[in-house]
Amino acid sequence: MFTELTKLGEETVQKAMKQGADEAESFIMFDKELIIEVADQEVENMKVAETRGLGMRVIKDGRMGFAYTADLTANGLDFVVKQALDNAKIAAQDEFNRLPQPGDDKYPQLDIYDPAIEQIPEEKKIQLAKDIERYAREYDRRVKITERCGYQDALYHVAIVNSNGINQEYRGAYCGAYAFLVAQEGDEQQTGFGLQYRLKFDQLDPKQVGEEGAEKAVRMLGAKEIGTQRATIVLDPYVATNFLGVIAPALSAEAVQKGKSLFAGKVGQQVGSSLLTIIDDGAMEGAVVSAPMDGEGVPAGKTVLIEKGKLKGFMHNTYTAAKDGVTSTGNGIRASFKGTPEVGTTNFYIAPGNTSREKLLREVDKGLYITEVMGMHTANPISGDFSVGASGLWIEKGEFVQPVKGIAIAGNIKDLLNSIDCIGTDLTFFVGKGSPTIRISRMTISGS
Amino acid sequence: MFNKEDLAEVLKIALQNGGDFADIFVEQKKTTAISLEAGKVERVSSGLDVGAGIRVILGDNTSYAHTNDITIDGLKKIAEVVGKAATGKAPRRDFSLMEVPANWQPSYKKKPSTVPIEEKVALVEKANKAARDVDWRVKQVTVGYGDVEQKVTIANSEGTFVEDERVRTRIIINVVAQDGDVIQTGFESAGGLKGFELFDEVDVVELARKAARRAVAMLEAKPAPAGKMPVVMAAEAGGTMVHEACGHGLEADLVRKKLSVYAGKLGQKVASELITVIDDGTREGKYGSLQYDDEGTPASKTVLIEKGILKSYMYDKFSAMKEGRQSTGNGRRQSYQHRPIPRMTNTYIAPGDTDPQEIIADTERGLLVMKMGGGQVNTTNGEFVFDVAEGYLIENGKVGPMVRGATLTGNGPRVLQIVDKVGSDLGFAIGTCGKDGQGVPVSDAQPTIRIPEMVVGGILEED
Repeated sequence: MFTELTKLGEETVQKAMKQGADEAESFIMFDKELIIEVADQEVENMKVAETRGLGMRVIKDGRMGFAYTADLTANGLDFVVKQALDNAKIAAQDEFNRLPQPGDDKYPQLDIYDPAIEQIPEEKKIQLAKDIERYAREYDRRVKITERCGYQDALYHVAIVNSNGINQEYRGAYCGAYAFLVAQEGDEQQTGFGLQYRLKFDQLDPKQVGEEGAEKAVRMLGAKEIGTQRATIVLDPYVATNFLGVIAPALSAEAVQKGKSLFAGKVGQQVGSSLLTIIDDGAMEGAVVSAPMDGEGVPAGKTVLIEKGKLKGFMHNTYTAAKDGVTSTGNGIRASFKGTPEVGTTNFYIAPGNTSREKLLREVDKGLYITEVMGMHTANPISGDFSVGASGLWIEKGEFVQPVKGIAIAGNIKDLLNSIDCIGTDLTFFVGKGSPTIRISRMTISGS
Repeated sequence: MFNKEDLAEVLKIALQNGGDFADIFVEQKKTTAISLEAGKVERVSSGLDVGAGIRVILGDNTSYAHTNDITIDGLKKIAEVVGKAATGKAPRRDFSLMEVPANWQPSYKKKPSTVPIEEKVALVEKANKAARDVDWRVKQVTVGYGDVEQKVTIANSEGTFVEDERVRTRIIINVVAQDGDVIQTGFESAGGLKGFELFDEVDVVELARKAARRAVAMLEAKPAPAGKMPVVMAAEAGGTMVHEACGHGLEADLVRKKLSVYAGKLGQKVASELITVIDDGTREGKYGSLQYDDEGTPASKTVLIEKGILKSYMYDKFSAMKEGRQSTGNGRRQSYQHRPIPRMTNTYIAPGDTDPQEIIADTERGLLVMKMGGGQVNTTNGEFVFDVAEGYLIENGKVGPMVRGATLTGNGPRVLQIVDKVGSDLGFAIGTCGKDGQGVPVSDAQPTIRIPEMVVGGILEED
């Protein structure tokens, strides 16, 4: 496959080499996005978008410079080459600055591009968005407001060319359905959401998305405050993936090398309950974040980071791998063409356990099922300390008896991982992060 | 970039199949980012982002398209695309574009593009050294410098034509301190709608020391207590509380869809009479300031709550149109890739007349917040949280030991109703506010205030 993207990549890399770069790399991305949002069975927002851009890294005397452009005319391409080279003059020298070499590892063959996503007529997509809302309203008459309810799809096309001989291109597409709803009773309003992102259009289930959002909103009506105490905590899969967002940076080799990881120096040690296994898998079948390669052209693959509570290793990009004398795990992630490939996650998840969610909950005598956390972005991935606002459902003798609001839960990630006493079978993905239901033996709940 | 005739033609294409309103936003943005970590300037990045977005509004429906192709043909192409999406009654009005006068004019003394990159790197290195010199327990320092020069051209079918340039400069410093197994962090930032002259006013050495001192002091802090207690927020703590407790809930899109606890309460008492809340996009040099918003409306000062009475929401054009009123100049967007929505600019609680020291002296027991971190709100039920980046216990009216790791949670309207002391001081902090996946620069401020009870998310001793 040699298209316009590869041509842009080859031209800019050659230009940078001619102007004195020791190594050069171009990352080119074209994407197309469609968003349809409905409210009260009418289309409220429609967005059709195309984005194109190129990001260039050059290395000169061990110094790395970066520049990007969304202007792909001669003017923008001249800018990006010149600026990347200029920036390389100022950045610090670092012997580990390097671009990947074409390796022996093959690129995984993944079924991530379904052309049907683009071909399906817009009316069908609009109908799907309307169906989600209809199912939500039908589920319970107290579901009265649609905050956002919609369908989204994206097609992307990526090329990575570097002066070491990597010259790769791939395409992908995904689609999604979501509902953010409000249930009302008297003066009280509570929110709930459902979402699904899939690689194929017919894998979207509007009924499930709508009803899930509705159920989550309705079950919070009548929420009360509870007193400060220590109790068993059960994390809903979505809430657990919020915690994964805090754990992820600590499992990056970059954080370890800079002394910013709570897992530094603990490879081979027990860092969590023996029930806990955490995996990153960039080549996972059927997962929306899967791709044949990472943002610098290294083949994607599966990396077990924590296995049965034992720390196995960290995620690497080419730079951190060179520094540690290992191979990149294919975790050089780019948020877009505007950024350098930094160590990050692909499909990052907690492996399922062998207790059903029902049994996991039934075993709780008194405890709190957490359905929403607020302020997780304020948790500290370096120290592991977190303190977040929360709401959920109070459990007594294995049954949900009362919705709860206005509380906070606090602790340290290290203690949290060690206190996991049960993991469900219900692994659920929320785009790039997934988790089953997780039970924590004891934690502080701050209330009134 | 484009002349009025060309843009008028593009807008007419967008409206050819119908529509009540169309606008276009063309952007050219140059960015610089420098990051230093582990004592080394690791990343030096330059960016050139160009693009345009066109919107057509028809009744309650908004269609939006964007492209990186900002030739006149590129604009016409997306105008066709949105024009097709908005098909309906076509009140074909003719219009011609005219400049709109602004309420104020920002001044940029040293445009970042005129400052040699070596000078920017030197600044970052100076901050790093200052932070590391504070204490041997400082283990890691990250310094991030960023500047943006954004040129925009905005035109709409009401005849608005605006060309504007926004220049923003900022620095962030993050310090990690470690002693044995304990790791803590300290964070400081500064930024404004201004050029490199920011650093004539902000001493990066002092800023870096402040971040480092906090990280080190936190090593010895005890976990925060858990449960309900009085909370005093110092002016220098910043304004995250007002931003979350009422700012978001006063954005007109959320109000219109009844997704805010403040919906339908105009003219009613929603806060203690000590509370006046203002959003002001015209404050010279502040991070959230704008000459025009991203819909070409001149930025203005809006009194949102006056002595406890709800006076106004923050409007963009769409919400204003729906309510038959004028935009308050709060229609903002992250870039040409996003449609504008109501957003805050510089939001603050106006100072009262109590001596801040007296507020602490008058509090027997509670938590003193000296620096707020990030926050979040569910506007639908008013529940909000914010992080305490630096906190102390108050014991017998005196500042006691430092505590760490606390989030405060409360209900917006309730917290504002029970505020019982408002100080005569005012302190700003900057941030990037996220909403619907769009980040925009804002600042928030509060005087010293006391809330008789909030839930502190701390830790109980093992029982």
